[in-house]
Amino acid sequence: MTTSLRHMHCRNYAPVDVVKGVCHVTKGIVYGDKDACPSFARLPQCAACKRYLPSDDEYLGFCSAAPDHPMTYPDLAAVTCEGFEWKSA
Amino acid sequence: MPRKLTEVLAQADARLEYQAMGTPPAEPTPREVVGRPSPRAERLRDLYYSALSSASNEFPYWYTRSYVGLDNDIPIVRRALALESAFRHLTPMIFPGELLVVGKTHHYRGSFPMPWLSEGYYMAAENQLYQDALARGSASADEVSTFGTGGGNVTKSFGSVVSIAGKFGIRKEEVPAMLRVARAWEGRSVDDVGHKYEQMAPGYEIKEALMKSVTCMFDSGYTLPQGREVVNYYYPLQFGLDELISRAEQKKSEVAGRADGDGLTGMNRLYNYEAASHVLRGIQAWIENYAREARRLGAVEHEPVQRAEYTQIAECLEWIAHRPPRTFYEALQLTWIVHVAVLNEDVISGLSPGRLGQVLWPWYEQDIAAGRLDEEKALELLECLRVKYTCLDCFASMGVVGGVLSGNTFNNLSIGGLDRSGGPANNRLEELILQAAMTCASTQPTLTLLYDDKLPESFLLKAAECIKTGTGYPAVVNNRTAIEFLMGQYGPEGMDLEEARAIAIGGCLETSPCSWLPLTLNGRSYWIPGGSGQPTSVGVHFLSLPKILELVLFDGIDQRTKLRVFPPHGCALGSYEELFDQVKAYFAKAVEVLSLANNIQHDVWRKNNAAVFNSLLKPDCLETGHLINELGYRYNATHNVETCGTINLINSLAALKSLVYDRGVVTLAELRKALADNFGFRTADEVGSFSLSSQEKRGETTEHDRTHVECLTAPKYGNDTPYVDGILKQWEDWFCAKCRDYESLNAQPYYACQISVSTHAPMGAVTMATPDGRLAGTTFADASMSAYPGTDRHGPYALFASATCWDHAQSQNSQLNLKIHPSAIQGRAGTKKLLELTRSYMRKGGFHIQYNVVDSRILKDAQEHPEQYRDLLVRVAGFTQYWVEIGKPIQDEIIARTEYEGVRE
Repeated sequence: MTTSLRHMHCRNYAPVDVVKGVCHVTKGIVYGDKDACPSFARLPQCAACKRYLPSDDEYLGFCSAAPDHPMTYPDLAAVTCEGFEWKSA
Repeated sequence: MPRKLTEVLAQADARLEYQAMGTPPAEPTPREVVGRPSPRAERLRDLYYSALSSASNEFPYWYTRSYVGLDNDIPIVRRALALESAFRHLTPMIFPGELLVVGKTHHYRGSFPMPWLSEGYYMAAENQLYQDALARGSASADEVSTFGTGGGNVTKSFGSVVSIAGKFGIRKEEVPAMLRVARAWEGRSVDDVGHKYEQMAPGYEIKEALMKSVTCMFDSGYTLPQGREVVNYYYPLQFGLDELISRAEQKKSEVAGRADGDGLTGMNRLYNYEAASHVLRGIQAWIENYAREARRLGAVEHEPVQRAEYTQIAECLEWIAHRPPRTFYEALQLTWIVHVAVLNEDVISGLSPGRLGQVLWPWYEQDIAAGRLDEEKALELLECLRVKYTCLDCFASMGVVGGVLSGNTFNNLSIGGLDRSGGPANNRLEELILQAAMTCASTQPTLTLLYDDKLPESFLLKAAECIKTGTGYPAVVNNRTAIEFLMGQYGPEGMDLEEARAIAIGGCLETSPCSWLPLTLNGRSYWIPGGSGQPTSVGVHFLSLPKILELVLFDGIDQRTKLRVFPPHGCALGSYEELFDQVKAYFAKAVEVLSLANNIQHDVWRKNNAAVFNSLLKPDCLETGHLINELGYRYNATHNVETCGTINLINSLAALKSLVYDRGVVTLAELRKALADNFGFRTADEVGSFSLSSQEKRGETTEHDRTHVECLTAPKYGNDTPYVDGILKQWEDWFCAKCRDYESLNAQPYYACQISVSTHAPMGAVTMATPDGRLAGTTFADASMSAYPGTDRHGPYALFASATCWDHAQSQNSQLNLKIHPSAIQGRAGTKKLLELTRSYMRKGGFHIQYNVVDSRILKDAQEHPEQYRDLLVRVAGFTQYWVEIGKPIQDEIIARTEYEGVRE
């Protein structure tokens, strides 16, 4: 996961495809890779979860919410994850 | 300047006629009927136009994470728990303006790989398994298949997007996890396990050679193990999900520990009901997640209309997550969710909604009568449904999605036909479905008119009007011929005439067994049709008939790869009869070895990866406790042998018979030499065009010109010529009967299936010149009953006479495409003319006809300026596709099809 927060990390971002999405606030098209705007609301993702354990690989990690710590990855959406807990800022 | 084929022909005072029955107007003519959707549907469709085919890893991740953690549970329960987890964890995504919600993934146009079926084809090139996969014959089709580079296809990586499987884009951040998930299935996928066992079947080396030479196009067991079938929405619509779960739970207690006289599978019922319960709960949670998302969006939405719509969506989902629908809107939404759920369970192409207008009629009728719904609102909803269907993508290998499917998903909606008692089954809702297809033109769902003389003229004319929009739908299928086929194929499993009348088309034009089920709504009773058969996407797919002839002429050796495919036949081919017998012998051998491997692959699929949700929807799985893998479906004789290139085979046999055996104007040796030398022409690949007329000579050679002209001017199919039609009839009678000699894993006979889909391009690409004068690498004639472009010179009625020289009810289908210039059927009189033309073919016993109503000059312009034609739709072969998403070989073939400038007899 990249360090800067972008539209694609926003709860208001509805991804049309892998490049762009519709912003629920403005109803306009925004590009996922562009920097987030002031309306940004963090999307629950593994990277934002305190149960997420990073690995040496930037794009892979582990989930400590499950007993066997299965592989996961930072950009996995966690909107529906029972084990998700916000990481403290 | 190299000479073109047209010049070679002109020198011999011969030509191919790409325009028949007149000449087109001087200026390109647009389509006469152009519709426009409601503003809402137009916005949503525009969003689709801008969307890229996008893959994500969420579903496979949760599926695999659950599956891996369940070692040693009963396989069907383990799979069900994995499916439940995957559905539960899908991120719900609702887009502004949507009334119908739920998608395959969180992307507007999203899909995902299913590595438990097959994983090698999309893994990184350096991966050993990928290399192994490439070495397998099954990967050969990938190498010769192409996608259109426009529209939403992601054919190349860019920025943070990685192109996979030739069509889909995935975020680079997801790639490592996607590969990690895929690796969890190495050696365990249906593909890998099936491969291990298929090698034990006799003749496996021939099977591999058939795949490597692309004599056969793909293995259905792990590519598209389900599909080309009709889904059944009845149980959720009638009972609701809570009741279905409750029934499964109750059944568990009834069957647990009991064999009930079935020592082989009786005990399995417990596990099957347990699996059904889990998957239903997963789908229920998925719907509830969407409802919560609608509530969340409604809570933060400032715009009142949009806020009210989010509330409406939430209320609808909260209800149908548990109970049967009360209104047309709820019923429509539920059928859509059921449809997507089935598609998320497996890699499926051609999951058809069947006669959706008749399924939803009870709610529509009662809502209209009660004033809860008006036609304008219904039309808007149907347009929105079209956009949702069009957003569907099927994630499979490039050879399958590009080479076979042209990116299409074949959700075929049938209209018309007969009701249970033999009366016309059309209704007002079906007219609105046609209207929505005209106003909101899009690829999905494609439509099929089940033509029956009992249908009212006004309904048939409405369908003809829709055809004139140029979208290629509805295709027209002969209801009576289809019923006759079904009675023959499924009679031994108990199908009677009443049940056969429930027929609908699965996939592009696969006649599929269906059933009537009793529905009660507010105290009123209805019989609604729905699918009750196993997939028909399964079996020996696709066999290239011209390639079989090539192998006969060259003693079993593929001329492209120089690979020996069959043992030498050693036959001198001294007579036409010997030649024809050898074609039959090689064909029979091919089906024999392919069917054995296919049965093994599908057996691995049903043991390890059987459908749970799709199964419980089909009669009579819930009642009996047996799913698809235990023949719980009412009809199981669905495996078929699918062929490609019929007309090039027939024309080639006619040329050989005429030139070599009857007239003796060329020897077989001379002809072989000319074929091997491609009649002195460059290859299609070198020329960069895949239609015959564009081909260019190699240098100044004239060595084979005389032979080539003889081949091109030999008798051709499509002209009501007994010489050729007799060969077609001889082939069809033998082929349709022969297929029944092979037994599927369900212990049922195979049968004939004759549609090309898009395979006539890649299969043409790997086939040398053929004795009918077709040049190496050029695309075959499309479909199975279409004439080869430029060779049908005597009008459509002569073509119909040729096409119906054999009994189409012997086969699951046949396929005839016709290209008509818009000016030929202008106005109300033109609409009637189109209907009369269609009726004529139906009355002759033709199974299927579909039309491209388009000026070829517009297609040529679209090929040069694709950016100006994002919304241009064309009919390929059994499906409608966006021009810009089709590969060039198929584009060239559609341009080359004979254009009828008039349709009078």
